[in-house]
Amino acid sequence: MKDLRLLLRDRGNAFFTFVFPILFAIFFGIVFSGSGGSSPMSVALVDEDGSDRSAAFAEDLAAADGIKVTRATHSEGPTPVAVTLTRAAGEVLVRRGKAVACIVIPKGFGESSGNVLAGQPVRVEALMDPSRNAEAGLLTGKLNEIALMQLGKSFNDPVQMKSMVDKARETINKSSEISGPRKLLFNALFSSMTNLTGAPNKAATDIDTGTGTGTGPGGVTSADAGTGGGLAWRPIDVSVTRLTANLNEPRNSYEISFPQGVAWGLMGCVTAFGPSLASERARGTLMRLTTAPISRRQILLGKALACFIACVTVQTLLMLVAVLFFKVQVRQPGVMLVAVLCSSLGFVGIMMLMAGMSRTEGSASGMGRALVLILAMIGGGTIPLFLLPPFMQTMSSVSPFKWAILAFEGAIWRGFGWGDMLLPCVVLVGFAVVGFVVGAMFFRWGERFSD
Amino acid sequence: MLRLTDVRKSFGPTIAVDGLTLEIRPGEVFGLLGPNGAGKTTTISLAVGLLRPDSGTVEIAGWGLSTDPKVRAKIGFAPQALAIYEQLTAEENLRFFGRLYGLSGRTLGGRVTHVLNAVGLLPRRSDRAHRFSGGMKRRLNLAVAMLHDPPMLLLDEPTAGVDPQSRHSILELIRALKEQGRTVVYTTHYMEEAQRLCDRVGIIDKGKLLAIGTVNELVGRFGGKSVLTVERGELEERHDTDDPLKEITRVLAAGDVSGVRIDRPDLESVFLSLTGRSLRD
Repeated sequence: MKDLRLLLRDRGNAFFTFVFPILFAIFFGIVFSGSGGSSPMSVALVDEDGSDRSAAFAEDLAAADGIKVTRATHSEGPTPVAVTLTRAAGEVLVRRGKAVACIVIPKGFGESSGNVLAGQPVRVEALMDPSRNAEAGLLTGKLNEIALMQLGKSFNDPVQMKSMVDKARETINKSSEISGPRKLLFNALFSSMTNLTGAPNKAATDIDTGTGTGTGPGGVTSADAGTGGGLAWRPIDVSVTRLTANLNEPRNSYEISFPQGVAWGLMGCVTAFGPSLASERARGTLMRLTTAPISRRQILLGKALACFIACVTVQTLLMLVAVLFFKVQVRQPGVMLVAVLCSSLGFVGIMMLMAGMSRTEGSASGMGRALVLILAMIGGGTIPLFLLPPFMQTMSSVSPFKWAILAFEGAIWRGFGWGDMLLPCVVLVGFAVVGFVVGAMFFRWGERFSD
Repeated sequence: MLRLTDVRKSFGPTIAVDGLTLEIRPGEVFGLLGPNGAGKTTTISLAVGLLRPDSGTVEIAGWGLSTDPKVRAKIGFAPQALAIYEQLTAEENLRFFGRLYGLSGRTLGGRVTHVLNAVGLLPRRSDRAHRFSGGMKRRLNLAVAMLHDPPMLLLDEPTAGVDPQSRHSILELIRALKEQGRTVVYTTHYMEEAQRLCDRVGIIDKGKLLAIGTVNELVGRFGGKSVLTVERGELEERHDTDDPLKEITRVLAAGDVSGVRIDRPDLESVFLSLTGRSLRD
């Protein structure tokens, strides 16, 4: 009973023992049940073709479930104006992590989409965020689905159908790669398709007067037709490109995993240093420090500085390991330096907040563990951000995990410039300031003396 | 040297220090005597600037208020808790705290060696504190307070929970500090320590200063009479007297005495007289 009473008397420990597991379970329940709405995949869309067909494709993509399309950006200046997205602007959105991919409908899309029946798939480019490989397949599937949907619409439109069939027939008849019998087979197929849409022509008549003996038109056997002749038909060709800072250089998965490792290393520093003030208070050394000829601010700054140095050391060590043993290339050392410093500051702020809020070593440790899990969960440290419901993705902005990872990725492969680094750095420094101020405000210096 | 004037300090409904006025003279060893919960640690904490009084003032004569870091630099403080880092060696502890007081280089090294020698820990300077006995940790705690050679030391229960050897060592150290002209204020509830060391004693209970003076003055004023116990065979007689020698002479003259014992009044009797209860209650 005594131990149970002691557990309940320490509110921090009691919270993390009884309440936090419930919150944890609710969190994963929400994530895996899809409550709070499914999370749409954000893509930038650039229409370089400008045809009716490309516009229709763009409309279908925008209307597709699970995809959020950005087609315009805003010009900078006092009165921002919506500007149609260009390939370069779309790439910037991907590099900044604001879009999973930039879908480019290239010139000639409308032309080739009228000729898909002749084996010329329409081409679409997907410039992918390299850290979102899991979504590349999903996106390709979605684009295929839309292309087929477009094709289906064309089949239902007699005029479009006739146009496509005529074009396909012309292309195939001119082709030197397709044998005569196969050309006859295709012509028969096209005639049937035209008949289906209610636009009879001579080809249909040809088919109707065919041999009807189990061979195809012109004597082509089924077996002959079945060999395919190398013509694997598909309506769309999605060219997926991983968007990196320098496409000529090799990249590897460690350039994605090490920034996450760095964030976990930083959280390790937070959990190591967070309870130290509560520990000093419990052991009496804090009393000794406060009676030394230094100010309380200096004591807190000293603690923060120690944590900062540990954070920088951890990051440096991890990046050295990454560079020396895992072929990770730091393309922008200056940007990396800023990322290291800002990330350290941000996590020091979290440490100070934790130190200020916790009353005992036990609650500090519990809070540390919980804080790590919560911030990692909502910041993309455990589950990729794109899998989280939209409201949790919004919440991820309160996690330094997200911003530290973004800053590191920016320095390694996102090709961030100083302007791109501004947002993550400002947010991380903001964590530092708020954490320090709030932590210092809530920190309890003294104990009750009555002896 | 240290002056507390009408100082009050409460923690919620609990009044820890209630209108305390006290002046410590330069170069004296002053003992603040009282039972547990009397307000000794709160008084020391106010003196060292750890706590701010609700009212009244705490000042170090000629230097200013003890809440000023510059003033605190002139005070050596050994809290009741063992305020040392157990994972650091004795030397590392001292070097860390020494830097907080502005010591560095050879000066710091010299002072570290000096205080380690003074507390008898020089041979163990490279051992981590967690390997030390309770008495050794207490001595290291005291060494930190002495490190920057302060003119005034505030020692809160410096001999609490230590073995007789360490207690003797600590008391000898305090005596040595007194001979060096240091002002020492220390709290204790061991009356024999106070009687042995202190130039003056203040008796505190429930946050109030009940009496202050030399041990002899206090005993003389509040201790009551000496008790002469006379043994006559199997019987014992008790005689309260102001003049034990005269009373012994009188008793011996009457003959048939197998033994006598004199119990002179001490600080315990002073405290009993002032509060109606024992010092260690």
